[in-house]
Amino acid sequence: MSAQQTIDPITLEVVRNKLEGIANEMQSTLLRSSFSPIVREGLDASASLFTLEGESLAQAIAIPIHLATMIPVVKRIVSEFAPDTMRPGDIYLMNDPYLGGTHLPDIALVMPIFADGRPIAFAAAMTHHQDVGGMSPGSIPTNATEIYQEGLRLPPLKFRDGPENFDETVIKILRLNSRIPDTFMGDINAQVSACTIGARRVATLAEGHGADMMLALFAELLDRSEKMTRDALLKLPQGTYSYVDFNDNDGIDLDQRIRIEVKVTLRDGRFMCDFTGTNKQVRGPFNCVPSGSQAAAYFALRTITGTDIPTNGGCFRAVDLTIPEGCILNPVEPAPVNSRTATIKRACGAILGSMRDILPEVVGADAAGEMLALMFGGTGSDGRRYVVGELIAGGSGAGPASDGVDVIETDATNCMNMPVEAFERDAPIRITKTALRRDSGGAGRQRGGLGIDREYEVLEGEIAFTHRGERHFCAPAGAFGGDEGMMARTIITRTDGTEEIVPSKLVTRLFPGDRVLIQTAGGGGFGPPKDRDRDQIKADVANGKVSKEQAKKIYGFST
Amino acid sequence: MVEIGVDIGGTFTDVVCRAPGQSLRVMKVPTTRSDPSKAVLEAAQILSAEWGVSAADISRFVHGTTVATNAVLERKGPKTGLLTTAGFKDILEIGRQIRHTLYAAVLHPEEPGYLAPGALRQEIIERVGQDGSVVQPLDEQSVRDAAAKLVAEGVETIAICYLFSFVNPAHEQRTADIIREAYPDLALSLSCEVDPAFREYERTVVTTFDAYIKPVIDKYLSNLEDGLTEIGVPAHLQIMQSRGGIASSTVARQRPVRLFLSGPAAGVIGAQMVGDSADISDIISVDIGGTSSDIALIRAGEPLIRPEGQVAGYNIRVPMVDVNAIGSGGGSIAWIDPAGGLRVGPHSAGSEPGPACYARGGQEATVTDASIVLGYLDPDYFAGGTLQLSPELSFKVIEEKVAKPLGLTVEQAALGIHQVVNTQMTEGIRLVSIRQGYDPREFALLPLGGAGGIHAAALATELGIARMVVARHPGVLSATGLLSAAIEHETSTAFAQPISELSLPDVRAALDDLDTRCAELMSNENVPSKDVEIRYFADICYVGQSHYLEIPLSLDGDVGGALYDGFREAHNRIFGHAAKTPAQIVNLRSIHRYGGERMLDAPDAVPNGADAYKGTRDIIVQGHEGRLKAAIYNRELMAPGMDVHGPAVLEQSDTTTIVPPGWSVKVLDGGNILMSVNEGNAA
Repeated sequence: MSAQQTIDPITLEVVRNKLEGIANEMQSTLLRSSFSPIVREGLDASASLFTLEGESLAQAIAIPIHLATMIPVVKRIVSEFAPDTMRPGDIYLMNDPYLGGTHLPDIALVMPIFADGRPIAFAAAMTHHQDVGGMSPGSIPTNATEIYQEGLRLPPLKFRDGPENFDETVIKILRLNSRIPDTFMGDINAQVSACTIGARRVATLAEGHGADMMLALFAELLDRSEKMTRDALLKLPQGTYSYVDFNDNDGIDLDQRIRIEVKVTLRDGRFMCDFTGTNKQVRGPFNCVPSGSQAAAYFALRTITGTDIPTNGGCFRAVDLTIPEGCILNPVEPAPVNSRTATIKRACGAILGSMRDILPEVVGADAAGEMLALMFGGTGSDGRRYVVGELIAGGSGAGPASDGVDVIETDATNCMNMPVEAFERDAPIRITKTALRRDSGGAGRQRGGLGIDREYEVLEGEIAFTHRGERHFCAPAGAFGGDEGMMARTIITRTDGTEEIVPSKLVTRLFPGDRVLIQTAGGGGFGPPKDRDRDQIKADVANGKVSKEQAKKIYGFST
Repeated sequence: MVEIGVDIGGTFTDVVCRAPGQSLRVMKVPTTRSDPSKAVLEAAQILSAEWGVSAADISRFVHGTTVATNAVLERKGPKTGLLTTAGFKDILEIGRQIRHTLYAAVLHPEEPGYLAPGALRQEIIERVGQDGSVVQPLDEQSVRDAAAKLVAEGVETIAICYLFSFVNPAHEQRTADIIREAYPDLALSLSCEVDPAFREYERTVVTTFDAYIKPVIDKYLSNLEDGLTEIGVPAHLQIMQSRGGIASSTVARQRPVRLFLSGPAAGVIGAQMVGDSADISDIISVDIGGTSSDIALIRAGEPLIRPEGQVAGYNIRVPMVDVNAIGSGGGSIAWIDPAGGLRVGPHSAGSEPGPACYARGGQEATVTDASIVLGYLDPDYFAGGTLQLSPELSFKVIEEKVAKPLGLTVEQAALGIHQVVNTQMTEGIRLVSIRQGYDPREFALLPLGGAGGIHAAALATELGIARMVVARHPGVLSATGLLSAAIEHETSTAFAQPISELSLPDVRAALDDLDTRCAELMSNENVPSKDVEIRYFADICYVGQSHYLEIPLSLDGDVGGALYDGFREAHNRIFGHAAKTPAQIVNLRSIHRYGGERMLDAPDAVPNGADAYKGTRDIIVQGHEGRLKAAIYNRELMAPGMDVHGPAVLEQSDTTTIVPPGWSVKVLDGGNILMSVNEGNAA
């Protein structure tokens, strides 16, 4: 690059808008051309543009957990394959968490973008694939104890040489290792399409400006986001803020809580997250490679620095992470990692929690921050095998001026629940209740959001049931005198009347007549309950969100 | 024989009047927000006073209304009750648990729980299984008790939504009978009638919205009808529905949830009509307003329909024209971010205070102010001269807010603002087209709204679109669309069958039932039944998929084979692939339509074009050095057949169209304009 590229502010903003449009077009292509429902409806795929240095340049709006996850992948690929050896149309691929990936189902594809005969950026797409082999269908075995059980590990590979030559050897290995090779390759092709669209459009955009100017513009865009982010951080009260929260257990050692501790230091325009004090890695698959903590930190950073700043790698330069090796957020190979989501969510909640005292209007009380995962599998009376999964949220935390929201996805995830009318068609199970869980929202001047009550009754056959909960043993905290949200609880009532309380994680069998009642956690309350507006308490009682007993006991309110 | 179309917008109520052998007459009166029917009646009176139209001669009165949307935006609906299956009263508030604001920790509800808060939801003892069998019979006493409680609470309208009612509607229907018997005046909305399709949350939302706005719509339409009768209009009132077809007010008030996109749908029909006049059937319409722009696609002469849309931020599952809003418009504010970068939007100056040049206290540099600086707008002829603009305020605000901080001249800054907002719009148009599987270059662009013509050529150039159609009256295209829309009634039913096991007798029986219901609706319209065109559609997905596509269904030949091929073709277009795996039908739909006359008005006095040329003005155009001397034309006086080459500016009372160098204009018979890129300048 020439030393002095004069940046025209209008061109800069036009290019920025174009890059965002291109990222959105890549994302749209990725979602609409993917085969598997999890991608199209769970939005579990993301497309981005990256700089040659592996910093994100523009990103489509996808689920936040993907905000950071591709960054180490691109950096890894750049370090393995020097950009000056790359050719137009090349595609690189990888998934290994210990080399920069996240968990094995997330496979990333990266394609260089060229202008004036040299690479100027990368187009990348990451998709959560339905099956990449391993010990259980779906490649997220809750009982894995090492990564080798979780599926096929892919190091950084050259997947296509130029615009035509796919590596047939790699394709054969991929196909052989997936239980659903056609769907798998369909989703890979969608990633190829997304990268192709991105590379083509950025190359076209570059035609009018030339490679040098494009590189200068990219650098400037990142520098500006960095400056705005650091300026925003400098405006916050400087200092160190800490927070501790817990997850229930790793599904193996059921009585051991998992500690997530963070100290966030705001100084010199930096956002430093130190996870010293966090639990050591666990035997079960709840370990999370560092990209997960990055995603958590980036989410928190974007939440506290405001929407006016264009999101790109410049924002993230302000983040410094300290994660001791061997802890659950920086596990040593070959620890299993497939169920990392719960860990990322808690890390994200802890970072936000540390900011509460200085940013109460942005952070509020703790959310339930749980994504209860249920899996029902068996064989129907018609001999058809079925597996039906559900992801269920709790309540969000109250803010200083607003109650929490009932049953809503928070922080790093954003998945839809399953309609009763879809669920009952897919499994011989009847849902007998879906209601707001009364009294579960933490009391306060502003009340926490409620969790959900949902009850399942088995109609026929024998069902393999997996329950992966959180917040069964550690409540979401209230803020500034607000109460904790109610903890989650799940009870299985067998036909003989015996009740089994699920210890957060469980794999068991269900039989006809068995009932499972799940109750997710409520969000924390904000401010002392005694300060709650009487009309709001009255409305809560009338609307069934708070019982008369609780209204009297906690709020001293009687009708 | 006079036909009147009235479209109510946020600021203006547009009225068009069409009479045989006369040119279309157009009027704008301010919208009366408190009771929009007042403006309509007022307009009808002005018609007679100013245009000599006698009320008794009015044979059609077609109306596009925002009353439904306003009731939701302002939350001014009546107390609404909701009856659900026991155990499920909170479905409305639980929703699908996702959020739309990603980067936030303090959240706000995304479900319309306010329509019927917990205290106004009652559980009814009953349960239907997924196969339609009765698991728990309807407890009629629980219905009576619930209704009595809700009435005591002051509820005026009730939504009924039970699980699996789309498979077996008996419990909902019996519930309605019981309530009607006790409370004949209560408005009722049954989910098995409003939206008989699976997914209980989505069905509950659309049914509850229907109940919520029913009394509002009913009252509004009654006021309007009474008023029309009073002033002696014999025509029955007709209303535009969200799909782009009109209905008698009798039917419209039974199905109010189908009226949310009444106005925008009329605009798309208007665009379609203008396209017809230029023999162009693939159109992207861009309606550029003050705070946002609406983008819609017309393919092969038919507006694209989506199975659900957004109203006031809520997803509502009711078919509507696929109109997509993006947050860029003439009022979008240009600002400098903390790192010194130029940004445009998403904040808007709206119409109050509006752009600085309105001289109503606007202190921000808007896109419209930039248009003034670039010479696009004549300050003395804005909105036909009804609003005198103050160009010096535009220069001043752009200089202070944008040019100085960036070290640019005022003109450079103004051009920059346009470049940025045009980029946002072109990216928006691209995304809307590719999401439907279409390449925007295959379409013609049709600008609408006060600012459409100002940006259109720049957008077309950027998108690689070589043709544009500019309507004769782009500012009132919705109102004119009302007059050319077909009368349309649509019914649908859940119908779950794999295509490979399709039973034709079942399909026929289901369609017969739908046809009966459509015919009943049509019987209110006073049209000859032999001229009613019937079309069938099936919603189809791959087995295991949950999102479906609407595919035309013909009962001739290999029905299943044709459906499967049609489905795979559409799937391939929209999603880029089409597996040969099994597919299934989800819903069946019947649409009865009585064709609108796609007729344009016949201008009685065709201008000879002699006085059209008004002189020249300097304009600044992206991609061209310095100031260009543009020929200014009075659009209203341009004669059919006339050719104009850019740089030029076409001015008319409701819009201004910029013709950059390299573009040519041809006035078509009937007054619409075709603009195209000169050969050798292909975009």
